[in-house]
Amino acid sequence: MSLDFQQKLKHYRISESEYQKICELLGREPRSVEWALFSALWSEHCSYKSSRAHLKKFAQTINPTVLNAAGENAGVVDLGFGERIAFKMESHNHPSFIEPYQGAATGVGGILRDIFTMGARPVAIADYLCFGETEAARMPALMDGVVRGISGYGNCVGVPTVTGQTNFDSSYNQNILVNAMAVGLFRPNDRIALSSAKGVGNLVVYVGAKTGKDGVHGAAMASESFDENSEAKKPNVQIGDPYFEKLLIESCLQVIQEGLVVSIQDMGAAGLTSSSFEMASKGQVGLDLHLDQVPLRDSSMTPEEILLSESQERMLLICEPSKLEKIKAHFSRWGLDASPIGTVQSERRVRLYWKTELLTELDPDLLVENAPIYQREFKAWSFPRKKEKIQKVKSKNLPNHLMEALESSDHASRKPIYRQYDQRVGAMTAQGSDHDLAILRLPDSGRGLAVAVGCRPSLMKVDAYLGALDAVIYPSLQMAVKGAKACAVTDCLNFGNPEKPEIMSEFVASVEAITEASKILHAPVISGNVSFYNETKGVNITSTPATGLIGIRQDVERIPSDLFENEGDSVFCLSFQAVQVGLSEREFSGQLNLEKVAGFQKVLMSLGSSGLLKASQMVGFGGLGLALAKMSLKGVGFESDLSWSEDDWSEDQLYRALLVTDRVQDFELLLERELQAAGIEEDCEFHELGLTGGSQLKLGSWVQISVEHLKSQHQNGLKNYFEGV
Amino acid sequence: MTKVGVLRFPGTNCDRDVFSWVEARGFEAEYLWHLDLFEEKKYDLLVVPGGFSYGDYLRSGALAALSPAMKSLRRFASAGGPVLGICNGFQILCESHLLPGALVKNEGRRFVDDWSELEVVNENSKFGAQFKKGQHLKLPIAHGDGRFYAPADELKKIYDQNQVWLRYVNNHNGSLGGIAGIMNEKKNVAALMPHPERAIYPWMGGQDGWGFL
Repeated sequence: MSLDFQQKLKHYRISESEYQKICELLGREPRSVEWALFSALWSEHCSYKSSRAHLKKFAQTINPTVLNAAGENAGVVDLGFGERIAFKMESHNHPSFIEPYQGAATGVGGILRDIFTMGARPVAIADYLCFGETEAARMPALMDGVVRGISGYGNCVGVPTVTGQTNFDSSYNQNILVNAMAVGLFRPNDRIALSSAKGVGNLVVYVGAKTGKDGVHGAAMASESFDENSEAKKPNVQIGDPYFEKLLIESCLQVIQEGLVVSIQDMGAAGLTSSSFEMASKGQVGLDLHLDQVPLRDSSMTPEEILLSESQERMLLICEPSKLEKIKAHFSRWGLDASPIGTVQSERRVRLYWKTELLTELDPDLLVENAPIYQREFKAWSFPRKKEKIQKVKSKNLPNHLMEALESSDHASRKPIYRQYDQRVGAMTAQGSDHDLAILRLPDSGRGLAVAVGCRPSLMKVDAYLGALDAVIYPSLQMAVKGAKACAVTDCLNFGNPEKPEIMSEFVASVEAITEASKILHAPVISGNVSFYNETKGVNITSTPATGLIGIRQDVERIPSDLFENEGDSVFCLSFQAVQVGLSEREFSGQLNLEKVAGFQKVLMSLGSSGLLKASQMVGFGGLGLALAKMSLKGVGFESDLSWSEDDWSEDQLYRALLVTDRVQDFELLLERELQAAGIEEDCEFHELGLTGGSQLKLGSWVQISVEHLKSQHQNGLKNYFEGV
Repeated sequence: MTKVGVLRFPGTNCDRDVFSWVEARGFEAEYLWHLDLFEEKKYDLLVVPGGFSYGDYLRSGALAALSPAMKSLRRFASAGGPVLGICNGFQILCESHLLPGALVKNEGRRFVDDWSELEVVNENSKFGAQFKKGQHLKLPIAHGDGRFYAPADELKKIYDQNQVWLRYVNNHNGSLGGIAGIMNEKKNVAALMPHPERAIYPWMGGQDGWGFL
């Protein structure tokens, strides 16, 4: 093979075996733009070639509440009362590491388009971020850039960022994770738009921002590991404009709700290529596309660049010719172009024209359906129990342990981050990022829509299967203690190099675990995203299957607080005993019994919605003492005279809830009844810890710290990284 | 029935929230599109809601101030019609010279979202008439360009003519005098940076905003 040929393969990121397959499918060698088409659509990012075989398992979680599971941009879950939710989470890890502001901003923009392209109005954004150690190279700048990017984009489009999670760990030092989730609402009479091209003779219409050279080869870039030349990839990062996105949201929702479009799809990864070929493939039709008709920002662009551009804020829609004028009028009212660039054909061929020249003619299925599927090598999960430190705090002495933890990047207040995000635009926010659980009020039924993200990387390090179970279970329990029931799950599976069996084994175990946890909690997995090759110079990130959950609460009244509110309330701890965790290293005893976990969730839901709780909180890693300290941060202290050891106050367990009430008898009666009904009396331990009140945190003879002191410690941990906030 | 016009520019994003609030108050609400002149006599009251009109290009509020709808709004205001500006609406009214001063980048140079405690400095009979001088209110804030600024002589005039409406108890953005809301000389045009429409029911975390209309 010639050197030129090898370089071409490298340039288009096509392997030799893939090249052979392309030749077989075409019956000849690929020509001109066909190289670019295969490069884009067969990239890991677009084709899911390493994960597809495993992701099928999620189908087991689907139940009748799911309106459309497969094939669309996001699944839709029916909450009753005509209210339906579309939601999805996506990664923008590679671009964010190269250029944090634009990478994060366009991550938000892209996931929003996935939602409103279906006809749902975006009502909430959540983020899931993993940074390296704060002292790692470039890290303060990356943190600042990512947060500013999310803030700059989300605030301007007018969608509140209501919750999130930020982790810090050395395994992300050279590959940060930026995952964004968007939640969209269909109100009772809203239409759901689909993305399959239909109707021979219908028009293919390009709407939104003009096409530029930004993001060319972005999808292929996102499917590679990083090396020393990552900086050179800057031109592959897209540039976003939230103002255009806002105009696009309003105009697209308008034409969808007025029934003017047959189908619509956003131009995301691999831009026009993926949207056109996927729409044609799904609709089992062909398309004639005239690339010279695409509105351009830069008239020197070649057909190949037009096909691969990932310019933001663009959509492709199919409409009947008679509707075109109305559609154009709607878009022009919002100052946007709507340009017909092609037609739907009966013969299943996508024909790409440049002026009068036919560049190529391809069966869309060759690119979409016939993409290679790899059976990457993996091992069945054998539950290796790695001894990993969960708590990074060094101090054993309890007061020092608490003070150190409160200021640490793991536990310090996230306010310097979320204070930069609009929490309330849309006027649906009952609880935003300043609460443990985000809750929006649904305008038609008045019910609460809970939004949460999950996945604790420290647990993933210990046991990927358990960590992935926990990624679904923990946010479900966080919902439960506030009286909300988890209804559906999306995921964003961030992993290293899938060609390495140990990484692939963790991936497969994670998919299985998420499937099992979702099944048992009756919370179907309705959408998802995979991000592989989170690897830099051979170092892989901690496998991080981030999840996003939505849940329902019957109303938005009497939601238990996160903090101690009153003096003299009784504080109880309910712990689920199945899995024990040691102080600094995991010492497992037994597997999680999922049926019993589901029972535990039910018990917490009953308590959380009973109106008996003044406050409630799931106890995260860091121990009970730390959880109690966090609950005191409003200013109401706590005192326990239990004669527990220092270890008792600081050791970790997987699932414990702190429950605060002033109606002890009613509470205990209800608890007993619910534990019995769930059949988990034997699996739970129950302690009365003490009473709220005073201005100090007092834990036996060990701790006596003023709440003000705890507060300033907690507030300051991350503040320096976001100067001026 | 009281008829309220809600202005809509490309990039406005609190229009729907304000619309719902107007309706909840029992008034009739109607959107007014930025490109259209409107018949100002048809309305009893106008609101310029928050957002990022024209994407904040040039300066926040600068382009919106030049739109046809603002011409009609000016006529409405000069005839004494009540106009309320919220957040970006405040910026637009300043850029239109219907209110004195300007709103510049927050002192910390970051967008800030939070709950803010406010003090009523002077009463306004058109908006929030029930709030008494010295009363404290709690409203959400969400802005990047919220720092009120005016040259010394203009600021003196603002104080002399009792045009300061609201003041931040904790001045988070470096506004001169902690000014969070002002009025024109005639007091029929008033604007504030905080968002009353986001605090109209207890479940929102507070309901002090309800009475601003």
